[in-house]
Amino acid sequence: MEAALWTEKYRPKTLDEIVDQEEIVSRLKEFVKRGAMPHCLFAGPPGTGKTTAALCLAHDLFGERFQDVFMELNASDERGIDVVRTTVKEFARMASLSQVPFKILVLDEADNMTNDAQSALRRTMEKYTDTCRFILCCNYSGRIIEPIQSRCALFRFTPLPESRIVEHLHRIAKQEGLKVAEPGIKSVVEVAEGDLRKGINTLQAAASMSKGITEEAVYQVVGRAKSTDVHEMLTHAMKGDFIKAREELRQLLVKYGLSGSEIVRQIHSEIFRLPVPEKKRISLIEAVGEIDYRLVQGGDEEIQLSALLARLASDA
Amino acid sequence: MTVEPWTVKYKPRTSKDVAGNRPAIEKLRDWIESWNKGRPSKAAVLLYGPAGVGKTTVTEALARERGWDLVEINASDKRSGDILAKVAGLASTQSTLFSKGRLILLDEVDGINLRADQAAVTTILQIIKETQYPLILTANDPWDPKIRPLREACLQIELKRLGVRDGLPLLRNILNQEGVKANEDALRLILDRDRGDIRSILNDIQLLSSKHGTLAVDDVDLLSGRDRTESIFEVLRVIFNSRTAASARRALSLSDLDQEMLFQWIFENAPYQIPKPKELEEAMSALAESDLYFGRIKKTQSWHLLSYALDLMTAGVAVAKQTSPGGWVPMKFPQKISSMSRTRSIRDTRKKAASSIGVKSHVSVRRAQQLYFPLLRFIYEHNPDEYERIAVSLDAKEELDDLVSGEMTMPN
Repeated sequence: MEAALWTEKYRPKTLDEIVDQEEIVSRLKEFVKRGAMPHCLFAGPPGTGKTTAALCLAHDLFGERFQDVFMELNASDERGIDVVRTTVKEFARMASLSQVPFKILVLDEADNMTNDAQSALRRTMEKYTDTCRFILCCNYSGRIIEPIQSRCALFRFTPLPESRIVEHLHRIAKQEGLKVAEPGIKSVVEVAEGDLRKGINTLQAAASMSKGITEEAVYQVVGRAKSTDVHEMLTHAMKGDFIKAREELRQLLVKYGLSGSEIVRQIHSEIFRLPVPEKKRISLIEAVGEIDYRLVQGGDEEIQLSALLARLASDA
Repeated sequence: MTVEPWTVKYKPRTSKDVAGNRPAIEKLRDWIESWNKGRPSKAAVLLYGPAGVGKTTVTEALARERGWDLVEINASDKRSGDILAKVAGLASTQSTLFSKGRLILLDEVDGINLRADQAAVTTILQIIKETQYPLILTANDPWDPKIRPLREACLQIELKRLGVRDGLPLLRNILNQEGVKANEDALRLILDRDRGDIRSILNDIQLLSSKHGTLAVDDVDLLSGRDRTESIFEVLRVIFNSRTAASARRALSLSDLDQEMLFQWIFENAPYQIPKPKELEEAMSALAESDLYFGRIKKTQSWHLLSYALDLMTAGVAVAKQTSPGGWVPMKFPQKISSMSRTRSIRDTRKKAASSIGVKSHVSVRRAQQLYFPLLRFIYEHNPDEYERIAVSLDAKEELDDLVSGEMTMPN
């Protein structure tokens, strides 16, 4: 059955179909030509083609039926290194039946693994290196321990340039019979911020409303037109009405499904427009920065942001 | 915002309005009426029964409907036999100015501290002997040895716990007046859970129905984690009213409520209980710090950090609060917990759907929820046919239907 999610429907199948990340693609094609590859580390932000590249590489190496010798594991789904170890063992034990003498195991979100788990993984990689090649995908290569990094060929995926995203979106729009106004596409690109998956998802959502992709439609998808809501939330807080402000915050989190860091980003850009003394802006930036940091540290978005709102409210 | 507690708002005005315990109240009324014909053989009644069944309320109603004065002495107040003698003695012998009737209430006599009030029992016996007015003693436990002499001097009347037969109509009536739609099973559950303690029952239904103007079994389940240690309200009251860090911290031991649940209760109610913005800022900042510790504990399994998280969420909040809101402010139900319970059953569904999507689109379960749930909900709202096509292609139609038609909140 044909995939109905556009991110799948339009996912490249072969390395040739990948039109971005030229340098990476040419290096991967080299592997295909030689029929050999090292362990790889694919690092880069979401939606830049890491998984796609791995899938295409496997396809080109093993052919259509690559699924038999290819396995995808998600480090954040498969709890604990033990699961990874047993799964890998099972998978790697059997010799590859294809002409290529190894199998490929993709471990996604590898930077979510603890250092201990990574060390264990390193030993596993070593042990099965004859029969199995690992491709580790991560957002930040810095979070991968040194011994693993040194055993892998590093590929850095960069956010797609706007022009490339526009190209992709136009191609999809054409195939789906959409009428696209330039401002409409522009706003999708703006939303995507170099993340092609986000761009395609936004386009599909907007298209579900009407075949004509307009700026308004896109804004409705992202709830960005609702950047006024962030403004409203801040206004309530600055009037001293914390309870209303927190209500607004919950709306943003639940109803619009904005993430905490997304809200932080929007607050950050609002700071320069708030009617506050200049010195105040700087202390607000500090406060927002602190929250951004805390969210990374595992803080709860609603609680951390509420503390910021209470701070604004107490200055009212 | 100040709301009257329902325990006050719906306090019975007359003894006829009191729910349940008809025979006992009849007996009590007959005994009071018998005073018209002179002092009866037993000048005092020992009115006993568990907390919250209405002992004080009935007495107050009896005095009120007769236009009598009520002289009320609480035995658990600190007081010596001397004061008792003075107050109760005066009440029992002096006649009032316009020869108005009088009812004397000695509340909680089983709370008498014998060491502090050595003479109390003797004094009370003396009062019973001499009283010119009906005297009502109340007790939770009439078999307490220290009040045995009193028991023998009194007519004993027992008030029983409110049962379902009398309780349901009472709750229905109140909820009707409040415009709350309530599920009968939910009410039965509350009656049972609070063991007929009307005060707790009213507090519970007021709180639970403040959430969305309805009352369902699920709502009640949320409270049932506690086995009648101290109610969550009591814990919150202590935390928000503690003057010292230590006493706020101790409040934790009052409840066996899960600590993160308690965090949510405190977080929800802080802005209502702490009216001064500056103090609220401090409290919220303590909660945010506490939250960080919870985060670190989860990440690193460093359970020794728990203590700091707990200090900050109790003592941190208590010390920040200096000023109380004017009037009684009811506790609010934490939004997070209520949405958790609403989604408890769909959490599994969501996980199933997400892992289906994850496999098909090469992302983790977590990312699948983040990226594709909002997308699918949006498409469902605007183009159901298209949604249907996608859901089928993802092999997760059944689960997704459940999710998009309900409230699909973001994962935590």
